[in-house]
Amino acid sequence: MSVLRPFMATDMFKFNNINLDVWTETYAISFYLSYLSRWPDLCCVQEAPGGRMMGYILGKAEGSSNEWHGHITAVSVAPEYRRLSLARNMVNRLELVSDDHYKGFFVDLYVRCNNALAINMYEGFGYSVYRRVREYYGTLGVGKGGKDEEDAFDMRKPLSRDPLRRSVRSNGREVVVNASSVS
Amino acid sequence: MSAAVTLERQIRPIYEALDTGSNKSAIVSCNKLLKKYSSNLLVKACFSLKALALVRSQKVEESLALCDEVLAVKPLDDATISAMMHVLKGLGRITDMVNMFEEAYKQQPLNEEYGAQTFFAHVRTANWKSAQQVSTRMHKQFQDDRYLYWSVMGAILQASDPSTTPSMKMLLYKLAHRLVTSSPTPSYLTADRFHMHINILKELELYDEANTLLESDIGKSICSTSLACDQTRREIWRGRGLFKDEGQSAQQKILNGDRNWLEFLSVLDSIFAPVSSRPEGGITEESKNECLENISKARTFLAGVVEKDGTKNRAAPLALLELEHRAYKFGLSDDSVFVSVMEDYFTQFGDKACCFEDLTSFLDLETASLDRWKAFLTQHQPSFASVGDLQRLINVRKLERYILLDSEITVESETARGLKYLNEYLGGLALGADLPVTELQPADDLVLLAANALVMVWALNRSEEALYRAATVLEYGLTKSRMSFQMRIMLVRIYRILGASSLALEHYRQMNVKQVQNDTLSHLVLTRALTFSLAAIGDLTYPSECLESSQIYLASSQETSDFIVRSFTAEKYTQIPDFIDFESRLENSLQRDVVKLEHVRMRLTHEPLNTDIIDMELIELKFMFDRAHHDNRDFLIIPSYQPRCKPTFNEQSLLFGASTGQGWLWCFLKIYIRAFQHASDLDDIVEEKLLVGDRPKKSSDPEVQLPLRERLALRRAEEIAELTSEETQLLDWATALGDWLEPHHNYVRPPPAVVLAEASRQTELKTGFPLRGVDLQAHNGDANGHHKKDEEAPPIKEASGLLTVFFDSMLSRFEHLVESKCSISELLHVATITQEAFILFIIETMRFKSPAVVKIHKLGNLVAQFKDVRLRASCVLKEMSAALIKIGEVEGSVEHRQVFLQACAPVTIKQITHDFVSNVAKSVTDSRKKVLEGVGKGMTKLNAAQS
Repeated sequence: MSVLRPFMATDMFKFNNINLDVWTETYAISFYLSYLSRWPDLCCVQEAPGGRMMGYILGKAEGSSNEWHGHITAVSVAPEYRRLSLARNMVNRLELVSDDHYKGFFVDLYVRCNNALAINMYEGFGYSVYRRVREYYGTLGVGKGGKDEEDAFDMRKPLSRDPLRRSVRSNGREVVVNASSVS
Repeated sequence: MSAAVTLERQIRPIYEALDTGSNKSAIVSCNKLLKKYSSNLLVKACFSLKALALVRSQKVEESLALCDEVLAVKPLDDATISAMMHVLKGLGRITDMVNMFEEAYKQQPLNEEYGAQTFFAHVRTANWKSAQQVSTRMHKQFQDDRYLYWSVMGAILQASDPSTTPSMKMLLYKLAHRLVTSSPTPSYLTADRFHMHINILKELELYDEANTLLESDIGKSICSTSLACDQTRREIWRGRGLFKDEGQSAQQKILNGDRNWLEFLSVLDSIFAPVSSRPEGGITEESKNECLENISKARTFLAGVVEKDGTKNRAAPLALLELEHRAYKFGLSDDSVFVSVMEDYFTQFGDKACCFEDLTSFLDLETASLDRWKAFLTQHQPSFASVGDLQRLINVRKLERYILLDSEITVESETARGLKYLNEYLGGLALGADLPVTELQPADDLVLLAANALVMVWALNRSEEALYRAATVLEYGLTKSRMSFQMRIMLVRIYRILGASSLALEHYRQMNVKQVQNDTLSHLVLTRALTFSLAAIGDLTYPSECLESSQIYLASSQETSDFIVRSFTAEKYTQIPDFIDFESRLENSLQRDVVKLEHVRMRLTHEPLNTDIIDMELIELKFMFDRAHHDNRDFLIIPSYQPRCKPTFNEQSLLFGASTGQGWLWCFLKIYIRAFQHASDLDDIVEEKLLVGDRPKKSSDPEVQLPLRERLALRRAEEIAELTSEETQLLDWATALGDWLEPHHNYVRPPPAVVLAEASRQTELKTGFPLRGVDLQAHNGDANGHHKKDEEAPPIKEASGLLTVFFDSMLSRFEHLVESKCSISELLHVATITQEAFILFIIETMRFKSPAVVKIHKLGNLVAQFKDVRLRASCVLKEMSAALIKIGEVEGSVEHRQVFLQACAPVTIKQITHDFVSNVAKSVTDSRKKVLEGVGKGMTKLNAAQS
């Protein structure tokens, strides 16, 4: 059971159970405030009835002309609340707002190429790889994860404004671009 | 060439230098220009830029002089004003900024930018009334709707200010309503304006009007994409008592796939509306029957959803649980039905981690049902076949433990439980054997349970053995789940009790706490960190930890108000009230000031005590004393699986059993403000003159309005309850010392004129200008150091016996602890509090060190009495110091490690090898040795420096 509600600045005082997880980054205060002051409707929280935060999503709307779209910047769920479809609910919400309110053509997100678990999950939500962005997560050198760790997949899902699905393509994994060419 | 272009060209290099952070070259360029030109415009701009460069290079005093000069001529050009804005922000002189913009806007009422900046300046100072007035004026002048909504927001914010009376609040909402309805464009053009509008209607209970807006197509469409608007809509519906309608529409949403728990709550509230909305006793048969009918319908509805969702989503099954729980609470069904539903729920979702949390809120059962539930849990056959089975076992263990009775919790039973959990943990590890090192083991919670049980044993018998075991099993858990912050948090707490402070700090750092988390989590290691600080021997680990964790406040104090301004510009009003709340909670954070005070206490152990430190800290501590604090510390993050009849792990593992909340802060502020005030020459008049920025906003608490002297003397039982017994003794001792010396301090302290003259002389030496705004003549002329007081010198009294008795009592407590081999952290606590008293004594008697002062004021008899106290203090410190060093040596010995190893024999099982435990033993004993020796040596050093 979870309450879906807007992300608020004061949530920063209580998101430790989500953010102490190793895969979730804690950004500077200004990062959260800048999202909340611009796209408050694309940032929401799932909360347990007792008030404990379970997960949150931060998103924005960007791009011009037919590249105008919703973007998922961060989606995170505390370890004890995983496997409860929380991420799906929040992503659904963001898609709904991007579609109905912002009238975007698609929603996109970036994910490490080696994060198979997440890629599978997003594919389950209807996202597909649009392109591979070289060294999106910075140059790590040739480490254990190799290229797959530093490169990102840009994954997209078309919204109702794109009935012909022009914003996706089937061979996205083979299209490689440089990090400097994406926003 | 026009004047503006010339100006632009001349000034550009200065801007560039400022942008790249080359403040020095910016100053040089300014000076060059100032020499060359005398054009009024250029000079002012130059002055203001120079002031900015000076502020940024920390040359506050010089900048102030320039600042005053520029402000005095009431600047009107953009270049000067925008540079001045940054200067004044940097200096914290927001009030001056408000005045500057107000003046500029008054002079140029057609300048929209100045209007907006005046509005923002008021927003920064939370002066909502003025902000509202300015925006109203702007709306009239520029006819832009945005300014109208700014003024509506101004009225709303003024209404929600804590200092606004309820009647004024209603008036302000009425004003907001009038303004919003006067808008030429409808509010539904944007969701944020719409949200503001319906909120006003909600506050004024104008439900019909709200209904028209919300029921319109556009209103519905906004609520479907804006959670904030939908929230207000829901509240309005509830306010109107439309539970049934709301329930029906929620049912529809659920059928359409919405799984927001709020929708389920609406359904549930509508079911029980016939009985819950009536006062007790007023429930008629009729309403009961209606409710029963609702319940039966809801069962069918929810069962349908449950069937559709399966185990994919637990909202409907939980709603069913909530339904039966409420039915049982209202006496509409018996609790055996409810227990059956709980059992079903467990069968379905027992393999999810959140199952325990889901069920705990429903465990308020009658004995018979509780027994049935217990039996259900006991029947469970542990299995390690899959991760799901393991999770199920974990949930059973947590649930069983949660409802244990007081009589079932003994040293023996808890020890046995701890070992059982540990065994199961070790068995469960096989399931995660192939996981990458960055992943968490599925069995982790079992080791947390084991540690909880072992800490319970310690709570019952206070024998450190149990803590050694708890630390060992958690350390082992961390070798399997490196990233488990829960284990680290528990270890931080345990190690602090054990006095292994360096290990506690290490684990805390491994958690990678950053940004705003410093505010909510630093309490884990910085609470009473003086106990473990080695600052006296030059090891600045803890003081720097304090400074680092406080960075966040400096960085964000301006940022948040910048974003509030941005939200106004972008018209994203929904977030503004919460931004303001956030800003105030961070700015007035309790932890911020607790850490600051802790830093002051440590600082005094390693820096030479002089008036510079004392004057500066005095002003800061006084600011802290005026704040209305918010406690943002996160204690919920500390895992606890203790039975509900016992204190939580957090409560059990608090160092010295007491948290440092508002009461602690107030008590220590009273100690230090009073001592610093005595030692300092700054009185209120002088402080006012020397203060650079604005004073922080004062709390509206009536106690804070009392004169400082009275406040410092106030003692409240609930505040003292947060102190340890040693801290309480310190407070009493400091009070006695202060009472004894205060009259002499007040008599001997030079008058303000003398102090100001000296300050002015110092400023002139540094900057070439005398101190601003100080008319030395006005302060009664004679500023050359000779002064004679009219009143008679206060009589010299006998020192209170308490002053020496304190040290004796501390020593005997210390010796008792040594004999009873009590916890090392307590030993350190007694020693460091004694040392703190010694430092306070030095501070209080500093003024009388100068033989000239003693001679002029005939204080020989007073000063003679200092010797006894100082001597006693010094002796006690020496003894404690020697004892600590000796205990430290023993602690580091091989024999002592053996004690640890023997204590851990019961947990040295299976994968937890003797070697592993031996390493833990070594690091614990080494860490304790280090802190014991360090504190001991520090005391010797301090004693020597002051004798």
